[in-house]
Amino acid sequence: MRDATRTTDGDLTDSDLMRRTAAGDRDAFTALYQRHHAMVYRFARLMTGSNSAAEDIVQEVFLIVMRDAARYDPARAALSSYLYGVARHHTRRRLARDRQFVAFDGDCCDTTQRVTEDDVNATLERRQTLLRLRRAILSLPRRYREVIVLCDLQDVSYNDAAVAVGCAVGTIRSRLHRARHLLSQKMGCAMASEEDHQRQSVRCAV
Amino acid sequence: MTPMRHDDHALADALEELRRAEARTKTPPHVEAAVLAAWDTAHVHDIANRPRNFWRDAAAVAAAVTIAAGLAQLGQRLQRATEVAPGQSGNSRTLLLVGEPIQQGEPVRMVRMRVPASTLTGLGLRPVTGTPGEHIEVDVIVGEDGVARAIRVGR
Repeated sequence: MRDATRTTDGDLTDSDLMRRTAAGDRDAFTALYQRHHAMVYRFARLMTGSNSAAEDIVQEVFLIVMRDAARYDPARAALSSYLYGVARHHTRRRLARDRQFVAFDGDCCDTTQRVTEDDVNATLERRQTLLRLRRAILSLPRRYREVIVLCDLQDVSYNDAAVAVGCAVGTIRSRLHRARHLLSQKMGCAMASEEDHQRQSVRCAV
Repeated sequence: MTPMRHDDHALADALEELRRAEARTKTPPHVEAAVLAAWDTAHVHDIANRPRNFWRDAAAVAAAVTIAAGLAQLGQRLQRATEVAPGQSGNSRTLLLVGEPIQQGEPVRMVRMRVPASTLTGLGLRPVTGTPGEHIEVDVIVGEDGVARAIRVGR
C-alpha cells in the first residue's frame, strides 16, 4: 500500500498532491485520481458485486477528495487508508440503499481469459471456481467481506485495514480468520451442491 | 448433507487467482471524465478569477492571437465549404477549441454546465444574450482521456 510519506523518483507524495488539490491544482487532483482510482474501484466492485455501483462509488469518493482535501491529515492515516475508509462508507450506504435489489451483476464476473482448445476444461473449471468464490464473498456478512477484500484481495496490511475499518488490528485478525472459515464452508457447500447436482444429472441421463 | 470443509490451500489458491484477475480490472474511462468534469464545474469561478500577472497575461494574449488566427482560418475554410440556410443562422452555436482538435470519429462526451455569462469574456467570447451576471448553459466536449477539447456556447 502506498504510504503518504513515500515517493518514487520524481513523484510527489500523496500528501503533497492533497495539499495542491486543496489549493485548486487540477493536475494534482488528476494525479491523485490516476494513482488511486483502481484500488477504490476494485474495492467497491468486490464489495457490491456491481460494476455500475463501483463506478458511482469511485465518483463519490473523488468528489469527497475534491471537496475535503484541505481537511486530510497525513499524520492520522495514509491516503490509501483514508480513501478506503471513504469508499467503505459509501459502499455501506449503497448496499443499504440497494438492499431490496439483487446485488450481483453478471458482467462483474466476466473474466476476459482466452480459452485455448488444450485447456478448455481447466479454464472453465477455474472460471467456475472464481464465480463460486465471488458469490461466496458477496454472501458474507459485510464486516467479514470487507476484511477479505482488503487483506486477501487488495494486499492491504492489517494495520492499514484497521485504520480504514476503524477498529483494532486484533479485530481485523479475528474477523479475517472467521471470514476465511465461513468462506471455506460456503465454497465447500457450493462444490458439494454442484457435485450432487451433477450426479443427479448423470443418473437422469442414464 | 453435511457441508464439507473446502480445503484451506484450495481457498488460498482461489483467492490468489481472484486477486490476480481483479488486478487486471480497469476503471472505465468515462468515470475519470465525469470526475474531472465535476472538478472543472466546481472550479470554473476560480478559473475566471485567477490572479493576473504579466507573464500569464502575455501568454494569454499570445494564445488568444494564435487561437483567433486559427479560428479565422478555420472560419474561412468552413465558410467556403458550407452554406448556411437563412433560417438556421439565428440558431447557431460557437465552438471554441481549447485542446487538441477533435478527430473524425473520435469518441467524446458532452457535459452541460451553467456558468456566469461573464466567464465567456475570460474565454475571449462575447455572450450573445443576457447580462454578464446571468447564468448561461455551455457544453464542454470532453475527450476519452477526460481532457476538455472544446466548449460550445450559445444558441
